[in-house]
Amino acid sequence: MTDERTGAQVMCEALVREEVEVMFGIPGGAIMPFYHAMWEYRDRLRHVLCRHEQGAGHAAEGYARSTGKPGVCVATSGPGATNLVTPIANAWMDSTPLVAITGQVSSAVLGKDAFQETDITGITLPITKHNYRVSRAEDLPSVFREAFHIARTGRPGPVLIDVTKDAQQARLVPDWNVTLNVPGFSAPVGLDPRAIREAARILAGASKPLILAGQGVIISDAVAELRTLAERTGIPVVTTLHGIGAFPEDHPLSIGMPGMHGWVHVNRAIQECDVLLSIGARFDDRVTGKASTFAPRASVIHIDIDPSEIGKNVKVAVAIIGDARAALRALIELIPPRDAAIWLRNIRETQATHQHRQPYMRRPDTTELMPHDVYAALNAALNKRGGYRVITDVGQHQMWAAQLIEWRRPRTHITSGGAGTMGFAVPAAMGAAIAHPDETIWAIVGDGGFQMTNQELATIGQEGIKNVKVAIVNNGYLGMVRQWQQLFEGRRYSGTPLTGPSFAGLAEAYGLRGFTVDRIEDAEESIRAAWDHDGSVVLDFRVQREANVFPLVPPGLSIGEMITREAPA
Amino acid sequence: MRHTLIALVEDRPGALNRVLGLLRGRGLGLHSIAVGDSETPGVKRTTVLVDTESVEQTIKQLNRLIEVLEVTDVTNAEYVVRETALVKIHAPEPRRDEIKTVADVFGARIVGSSPQTVVVEMTDTPDRLGEMIARVMAIGACETMRSGSLAMALGGPTPRVNAVSEDATRVWWSQADGIS
Repeated sequence: MTDERTGAQVMCEALVREEVEVMFGIPGGAIMPFYHAMWEYRDRLRHVLCRHEQGAGHAAEGYARSTGKPGVCVATSGPGATNLVTPIANAWMDSTPLVAITGQVSSAVLGKDAFQETDITGITLPITKHNYRVSRAEDLPSVFREAFHIARTGRPGPVLIDVTKDAQQARLVPDWNVTLNVPGFSAPVGLDPRAIREAARILAGASKPLILAGQGVIISDAVAELRTLAERTGIPVVTTLHGIGAFPEDHPLSIGMPGMHGWVHVNRAIQECDVLLSIGARFDDRVTGKASTFAPRASVIHIDIDPSEIGKNVKVAVAIIGDARAALRALIELIPPRDAAIWLRNIRETQATHQHRQPYMRRPDTTELMPHDVYAALNAALNKRGGYRVITDVGQHQMWAAQLIEWRRPRTHITSGGAGTMGFAVPAAMGAAIAHPDETIWAIVGDGGFQMTNQELATIGQEGIKNVKVAIVNNGYLGMVRQWQQLFEGRRYSGTPLTGPSFAGLAEAYGLRGFTVDRIEDAEESIRAAWDHDGSVVLDFRVQREANVFPLVPPGLSIGEMITREAPA
Repeated sequence: MRHTLIALVEDRPGALNRVLGLLRGRGLGLHSIAVGDSETPGVKRTTVLVDTESVEQTIKQLNRLIEVLEVTDVTNAEYVVRETALVKIHAPEPRRDEIKTVADVFGARIVGSSPQTVVVEMTDTPDRLGEMIARVMAIGACETMRSGSLAMALGGPTPRVNAVSEDATRVWWSQADGIS
């Protein structure tokens, strides 16, 4: 009898076996047996009660993206589960290892439109790597083993486990002697040596080679290898939005970010290069612009662990399917030392004309606080102090952060890229803060995104989390949409002006500190004070309302066609 | 272009749903799908006729599904294809000889009848079925049902799942340098 457990206890035991330390969630009827069992495991499994399941999902993502380990979120059936859909979709688009556990109504009433019943495995079918509905408790050990294996192996992604209430309640003697049996899930085996040789040959003969580094470099822990390859060959390195941190931006070979809000000199380099070595990047349309005109002179060498990314958006000359670190190591062995000094000098000349890391727009002759003042102060503080991670949300503030902060280390810049989920930053920062209690976690967020998930400030308060510092770049608009309306739709600001409460007052109401900042001279001091304060803080930066993000590739155009300022009035 | 794919799919709840959902989600046109047991217990062999501009992409996406064990494109291989049709024909007694004659011509069989109707069964290539159906429609067919194509490649066993992605790689890189 002593070996007998409930299904819910088996679920807890499985999480401990997978080395899970913390999960984010909200209980409800169909998941109550799991919460009942969780109480016995509370010294080993921390549960963070969130205020909305979306917040729980993004918090798990923030945990996962900052550590590389799977994040775990929990919800009940029905609305609890459907509230997880957005974070699951976000994790799917951004290749984040996430395990979502949902309660389901009992098998006896399944399919009868029972209270809080939703077909969550059906709903999440196209946004999970895999999902499971478990109605037999005996299946729990193997399902949890498989789910964590699938979530973290190869190209990471979300896996959902839906457990009926009766399976959680059932009593069983669990069989932990689980062998993984997923014949249809094959991580790539060895690298193709012919492809490596061919890539090395093409790179050696290139006169204008370029490296495009994506998140795959970070996921594969290949930052050192990328640096070795770049330094050995002198090839300039471009980092995508998710590749930020894969290569230090203060390195002489770093040239910056490409794409819709990339730098002019970077996009021109892509359009001119003769070989483009892409490592763990998937040629998203925000990087390529009009894909048929992307890198027209280049032979593309594409390293990716997911075969389905090869040739999806861009025609590829050589495909290397496999782990980025292994592929880079193999390439480094074969590629002779070289340099690309003349090519790099050309790029730097273009860059000098277009002022890297400077506001493209001329500062208006006013004393108004500009977003750029905020980022200049943040950049100085981050790079002086270290020990930080930054989570950004989606919109103008996100692009300014990517452009105007000099990023140096992997997993210090975390954002919602593929799905573009507003509301990501505050809960994700909370998850990262729990994973890294000794670091300072900045959430940079617009006033629109902040108002989508700021209820998690209550969670931050309840959990006593002291290291979240929220910087709201508040312009009173859904700014990126407003910018498009200004530039492409004749300034018809339809549905974009936005008010809010006093965000500083809101923070105080949640038991955190809050400050409103609207003068240039206060930007630096407020960031210093927030950083030094022994508790979480919200800074509400009231910036000039119609500042725009430049440069900009208009939607549907080639990345060679950039707008660098407003058209003269 | 229409491709004939043969996929081995684990027989688990929702597995077929995943295959269909993927085709729909990626905007691919499904012409027909036929599913049934394979020689391996717990594994279904399916024939999928799909309209896709990039069959490599479609195969790779299908291979991302955990329950899909293997996908082969036999479109340009040597393969046999068969489909079964059932056709109900309005057939008062005077017409039955004519129907029987047409059935004999096409190698079809009358497999059931009622006072007003007969049901003809025919297994052949999809084109031949089409011809037969066109003929009996003229006589007075009132209901047709087709099984979807079953395809099987000639020659040795089809390659295993990993070989699919490797082959796709080779295609890309032989395009690059002109060698194969």
